[in-house]
Amino acid sequence: MIPLVYWLVFSSLLFCIGAYGVLTKRNAIVVLMCIEIMLNAANINLVAFSSYHSSLHPALGADLSGQAFTLFSIAIAAAEVAVGLAIILSVYRRYKTIDVDQINILRW
Amino acid sequence: MRWQPVLKALSVVLLALLIILSILSASWPEEDMDEFDNTSEELGRTLFGTTDATGYGLIVFFIGLLLLVALLGGIFLAKEERE
Repeated sequence: MIPLVYWLVFSSLLFCIGAYGVLTKRNAIVVLMCIEIMLNAANINLVAFSSYHSSLHPALGADLSGQAFTLFSIAIAAAEVAVGLAIILSVYRRYKTIDVDQINILRW
Repeated sequence: MRWQPVLKALSVVLLALLIILSILSASWPEEDMDEFDNTSEELGRTLFGTTDATGYGLIVFFIGLLLLVALLGGIFLAKEERE
């Protein structure tokens, strides 16, 4: 199977792509999508390390706790997206823009 | 400011290099990973358990409740206000 290092490098690249998007993009929906990419990078890490742990200790059998936690994480991400999109919709109705540079009312 | 995107891109590339180099320099006890059979079945057993006292059934229930609350919150936030 694919070695652990490949998964880790892939997830770190995914995380950095998400971080770049969060830092540079101004559209709030794109920022939300980039946050989801970063969350997915963390999910890949969870699954990879869980599978690696099972490979390290074959006598214990397949331990899929990491995969189960990833399912929870995906569900939490779905809840976050539901609320985030609703907030973006609400902000658009009020300010007629979703440019995060212009929505600066919370800035101190 | 024109140099700001370049600076951000550079900092992200530096972060990626730092993470990847630290991953590659670490020594992992085993190189390869084994392949497992019946992963879906095992995942089901892990989630809901084989006996009453095992598994994450209660957490699955609460996650479902959380999703429902988030859905209702999203609808409440997104609905149009009546004048």
